[in-house]
Amino acid sequence: MVKGVVDWLDERLDLSDLKHFIAEKGVPIHTQEVWYYLGGMTMFLFGVQVFTGILLLLYYRPSSAEAYESVQFIVTQVKFGWLIRNVHSWSANLLIALAFAHFFSVFFLKSYRKPRELTWLTGILLLFLMLGFGFSGYLLPWNELSFFATKVGTGSAGAVPVVGHFMLRLLRSGDDVTGATLSRFYGLHVAILPAITTALVAGHLLLVQRQGMSVPPGIERAQKAGKLGPLAQMKFFPNYILRDVLAWYVVLAIVAALAAFYPWELGTKADPFAVVPPGIRPEWYFLAVFYTLKLIPSHIMGFEGEQLGVVAFGIVAIVLVLVPFLDRRASRGERSPVFTVLAALGLVYLVVFTIIGHYAK
Amino acid sequence: MSQIARRCLPLIAAMALFAPSQATAQPAQAANTCLTCHSTLADTRLATPAKLFSGTDIHRERGFACADCHGGDPAAAEKARAHDAAKGYKGAPRGQAQITACARCHSDADLMRRYAPKQRVDQATEYATSVHGKQLAAGHTNVATCASCHGPHGIRLVSDAKSPVFPTNVAATCAACHADPRHMAEYKLADGTPLPTTQFADYKKSVHYAALTKGNDLSAPTCNDCHGNHGATPPGVGAVSNVCGTCHAVFATKFQSSVHAQIFDKGCVECHSNHAVLKPSDAMLGSTGHAVCATCHSGADDKGAVAADTMHGQFEQLEAGIRRSGALIGRVKNAGIEVSDQELALREASTKLTLARTEMHGFVPASVTPIIADGAKIVESVDAAGEKGAAELRFRRRGLAISLGAILLLVVALGLKVRQIDRRSHS
Amino acid sequence: MNEDPIPTRAAAAFDRRRFLDALLAVGFVSTAVAIAYPVSQFLIPPASGEPATASASAGKAAALKPNSAHIFKFGSRPGIVVRTTDGDVRAFSAVCTHLDCTVQYKPDTTQLWCACHNGTYDLGGNVVSGPPPRALETFVVNLRGEPGDEEIVVSRA
Repeated sequence: MVKGVVDWLDERLDLSDLKHFIAEKGVPIHTQEVWYYLGGMTMFLFGVQVFTGILLLLYYRPSSAEAYESVQFIVTQVKFGWLIRNVHSWSANLLIALAFAHFFSVFFLKSYRKPRELTWLTGILLLFLMLGFGFSGYLLPWNELSFFATKVGTGSAGAVPVVGHFMLRLLRSGDDVTGATLSRFYGLHVAILPAITTALVAGHLLLVQRQGMSVPPGIERAQKAGKLGPLAQMKFFPNYILRDVLAWYVVLAIVAALAAFYPWELGTKADPFAVVPPGIRPEWYFLAVFYTLKLIPSHIMGFEGEQLGVVAFGIVAIVLVLVPFLDRRASRGERSPVFTVLAALGLVYLVVFTIIGHYAK
Repeated sequence: MSQIARRCLPLIAAMALFAPSQATAQPAQAANTCLTCHSTLADTRLATPAKLFSGTDIHRERGFACADCHGGDPAAAEKARAHDAAKGYKGAPRGQAQITACARCHSDADLMRRYAPKQRVDQATEYATSVHGKQLAAGHTNVATCASCHGPHGIRLVSDAKSPVFPTNVAATCAACHADPRHMAEYKLADGTPLPTTQFADYKKSVHYAALTKGNDLSAPTCNDCHGNHGATPPGVGAVSNVCGTCHAVFATKFQSSVHAQIFDKGCVECHSNHAVLKPSDAMLGSTGHAVCATCHSGADDKGAVAADTMHGQFEQLEAGIRRSGALIGRVKNAGIEVSDQELALREASTKLTLARTEMHGFVPASVTPIIADGAKIVESVDAAGEKGAAELRFRRRGLAISLGAILLLVVALGLKVRQIDRRSHS
Repeated sequence: MNEDPIPTRAAAAFDRRRFLDALLAVGFVSTAVAIAYPVSQFLIPPASGEPATASASAGKAAALKPNSAHIFKFGSRPGIVVRTTDGDVRAFSAVCTHLDCTVQYKPDTTQLWCACHNGTYDLGGNVVSGPPPRALETFVVNLRGEPGDEEIVVSRA
């Protein structure tokens, strides 16, 4: 049946180029090929988010008077609303976890080196966008935790020197976190960020398809030195695709398990005049940064501690974006231990500080 | 008065020397040299009334002047003529003279109708029946008269929040004398013991005071609501539950039909105190420990003790049930089950508990039991619904677990297929 | 028996492949159904319409006779809708402002009354007598639907 549809389209659109491309496309087989699947899994979860997000859109109301009640309505009144909501909440967390895993695997395997600098660029921006999705979406249920976490998070934005206050007002749509903030975050979450993400994902995918999969630098060097022959290739279609789909179903199973055994709570409705609950923290993917900022002493050599911290993280972000251009050795195909070490340090820092941030008082 | 004259004379002379124009600078409207002279006096006792009267004063605003109460000649520039007894000058009226001075207008219905038709005109008559009035008639001048509470000058309407007799200020006004042991030292109770001075301190601990000052409920009782305004007297034996019953009608009715009505002289006050009326709790009910009933009742063969313990147990049980039910549906609601019907029902159960606590004032467990039983039935139904909700949650979990199984099966099948395709590619 | 082992093996492999393909098809279809079913159910609008934050239904107008009232649910708190002797429909929060008992309507006095401690309110929600410290919250009443079959819709002022 599928063949019938393809033939019908072929008669009208001449799919010969596409067919040739798919038939010829191969994926190199080697010891590190398992990392290839992470990108697709991330994309799959993004698709799940868009799908469940659109479903939630049909019932959610982005006003401070109704947001909490509408989520309650979805979870209690709408058939399988609890399922859609739980899937959306859990796969959000999984999406960010996978995005980080994909990022680190690319970082360690130096896939960013020439000629894939643009892929890295679009990728790192996508990572920031995913964090933006997480931050904006977290406020939408308008419960106590999300309200105060947003307050703390946007407050940190105010620590940026010079433009901090302006940024804070821009984010919060005012000086405080109010219904106006909710509307703005909603617009960000369902329109602005998805639009940018779609463009970047399309670009990212196009680049990957055009350039094929990157091979680990060690293997490339061995091949150049003559110690290794040309790599065996598996066919993209159907061998690789089937494995990809397998991975996606595994991810789906994990999401279903989490939704079944750890359902997401409603919490209590946000009260802007309530006291900040003790031990308020952002979600895990911001914990390392949050805890680091908390640890910084309030004044260092005449500068405000938080300001320095925010600026430092800003610099780190810029450096990350520029990694392919900074790592000359990798671009030349040589060993680049400095960046490997940096990647390892980054990973260790994130893991350790996330754990500490979770257990700290 | 001669003292005042002696003090005033040099000043008047000075004024006559230095400000002869005073006499010519009469205001175009009704002359009131009383104010012009008294407001400049150095003696605050004489100057303050003039200052107060010139400020916010209801009498002045209605067109009355000093002479209308004190007599004398308001047009006269020098003291002797101003203070002329022939012109009706009576100085500062004190004691019974003060009552008469105020009552001259305030007991005149025709006059009062021209200014405040709804205002009562029997204050003086009522006052005569009060403890203050009776003590005054017996010659004790140290008691409150009109000016003691309303102020003699700068008198504000009772509805003016700054008036000393505005509801939130009444207790402090009464306490000015009644909380002062030196002032009250000469007064004794019928049995010779000195009058207590702790009423204000006690009242400040009460729920009534809290309702009045923090709850903004001006209908909450203060001193005059139970003791009377002008006829201020503590309510007598047998009258207490009537007095409390003016607001707490249901309790009073139940109490009056109960066994305690005949026994308790002090009615409601026996258990709830008169001034330090605290928030009641179920702990007051029982025959052991700090329970109020334990003051008289104890032991298994005391019907009262048994009744108290029974009712206490019933209240505790229902309250615990409501709390437990509330926690259950709270948990279930947080996990995503619709429970607004149950929340409504729990409200009804709380209402039943409140009704039971009211019914308790008849001190008959048999009349309390059916109300508690109703409440318990509601709690039971809420519990059942809560359990259903929890069961629904478990059902959802199981459903998801099954789909999880299906997905895993598919994953295994996919794995096998991948292996198969790989083998085919290789061969 | 040794004549043609390869065709038998190939035939067996083909059968296995057919079986696996069938299994996969069943798997894909069942997971697709496991996704499509909840999603399609999700799209069906639920009976209760919309979240009862700002408004709630208080029953049919025709069922409310003059000089009578009935309790309805507003979110998780009770409300009371009254039809006065003149035919006017009014709605209030049924939560007594004294100690949160549920008030009721007394047709003989045309007042709202709380059985717990004898609090009384008039048909404007104002306290007439008894312990309640504040008036009852008044709601806005609208009629919605076909004439003759209107529904009373109560919303917050």
